[in-house]
Amino acid sequence: MDFDGKTAIVTGAARGIGRGIALELARRGSNVVIADIDEESAREVVALIQAGGTRANYCETDVTQQWSTDDMVEAALEGYGQLDVLVNNAGVGGAPDFTTRKVPNVDDWQATFDVNVYGIVNGMQSVEKYMTDRGYGKIVNIASVAGRLGRPGFASYGASKAAAINVSQAWAYKLAPHGINVNAVCPGLIWTPLWESIGDWRSSTDEQYTGLTPRQVFQRAVSDIVPLGREQTPEDVGAAVAFLASDRARSITGQALNVDGGIRMN
Amino acid sequence: MNLKGKVAVITGGATGIGRAIALKLADRGAAIMIADINDEAASATATEVEEISGRSATFLTDVTDVEACEALAVATSDTLGPADILVNNAGIAGSPGWQERSFSTEEDWKRTYQVNVIGMSNVTSAFRSQMTERRSGRIVNLASIAGREGRPAIPHYSASKAAVISLTQATALELARFNITVNAICPGLLWTPMWEQVGDRYALDNPAYEGMTARQVFDALVEERIPMKKEQTPEDIAYTVAFFVSDDAKNITGQALNVDGGFFMR
Repeated sequence: MDFDGKTAIVTGAARGIGRGIALELARRGSNVVIADIDEESAREVVALIQAGGTRANYCETDVTQQWSTDDMVEAALEGYGQLDVLVNNAGVGGAPDFTTRKVPNVDDWQATFDVNVYGIVNGMQSVEKYMTDRGYGKIVNIASVAGRLGRPGFASYGASKAAAINVSQAWAYKLAPHGINVNAVCPGLIWTPLWESIGDWRSSTDEQYTGLTPRQVFQRAVSDIVPLGREQTPEDVGAAVAFLASDRARSITGQALNVDGGIRMN
Repeated sequence: MNLKGKVAVITGGATGIGRAIALKLADRGAAIMIADINDEAASATATEVEEISGRSATFLTDVTDVEACEALAVATSDTLGPADILVNNAGIAGSPGWQERSFSTEEDWKRTYQVNVIGMSNVTSAFRSQMTERRSGRIVNLASIAGREGRPAIPHYSASKAAVISLTQATALELARFNITVNAICPGLLWTPMWEQVGDRYALDNPAYEGMTARQVFDALVEERIPMKKEQTPEDIAYTVAFFVSDDAKNITGQALNVDGGFFMR
């Protein structure tokens, strides 16, 4: 398998898309560090991976702090002896109470930038010396289809994800001469805790969704905007990450791949 | 062996990138129809395929001939079964002798558009019903990074490949409701017979490349323009095709993915 004997760190791997990525990488042979702040959910993912036969551990990580991602990388190297893949997946929709507002406030702009952009930068800065010295490494950053086109309402989230694509390109250029690939994946509509919040937010702030459950809001979005007519899954994103993080994609760098059933075509 | 039992058609599958795609999909278990205008080379590649997956066929196909494309679809269905996968790879860089001319002629424009764009549409139309009737299919179109931005010296080729990206998006939207995905790959710099022509053309009137052999022009461009400082290989492209036609990419459609070492990041 592509990842036999390899080690990956996945940030935000306790739930949602990150969990799907961690499980897909593990299924393909990888040991996985579950870097998150939600210990209880993270431990469930660790147990699932261990039951599948590869190694995993929980690493308490706040991606907004450089010292914390530095510790994360150091702990991975101590525990596994090598680090082949970093997946910067941790992300937020806004400040913790963002679903109560019609438009993002300064806290939402700050939170989305801190986690969705600076969190990725911290992760990349923490691994780049190790990967450069080794002349090998794969970095995959999770952006969003929301980063492909500015839309009203959720402007802070979309802007942060556009920035996530941009920093992926910047580091792709920087690290390319050292044999390191940096790419982004842009997930479309995936039923996760984040989307549950978005559904909540829409039904409480937009009258066309009044009275709908978050899941109903989600399903309407799927039927309205996904050409393939179905939702995407964390496993879909995990499979795309696994491809980009494999040596089969050794000549692909600086790209952002939409996994979105055709919502946006790049 | 994730393509066992599948039937894949590859236009221009006899040589170069097409041959590499044929061998890779055969390696994953697919039966392969090699559709090419060069029958002798097609037979040689078919023999190689048979040693890998056991099932192959060839069909003499000029993609600019609608009847030939329809006959190819019938022949595929009769000999191997209805097509699950179509790889539109056949392409040309200009009309014969184009690389010895300083300006693209009307014939270069017409011929390139006929083969690269209309030919692709002809083949796709011929296989359409085999896929729509079974509500399943995967189409991969070979575009080029030349289609990402207008390039001097090869404007006719560049424009035709931009049209391929556009055709890919249109076809993806049209066929999405039949559970058929359509994606494009934009190869970067690959040392193929086509690039030999391109190198000759660049050396013709660009002072920067004066007196250089085609291979020297190619090497200079790899060094100047590719962040990873490496040329791409037919195998790189084949791996990406294998990803797009696998279950892993079932929710990816309408995308154009650069396999170019970071030459273009959009």
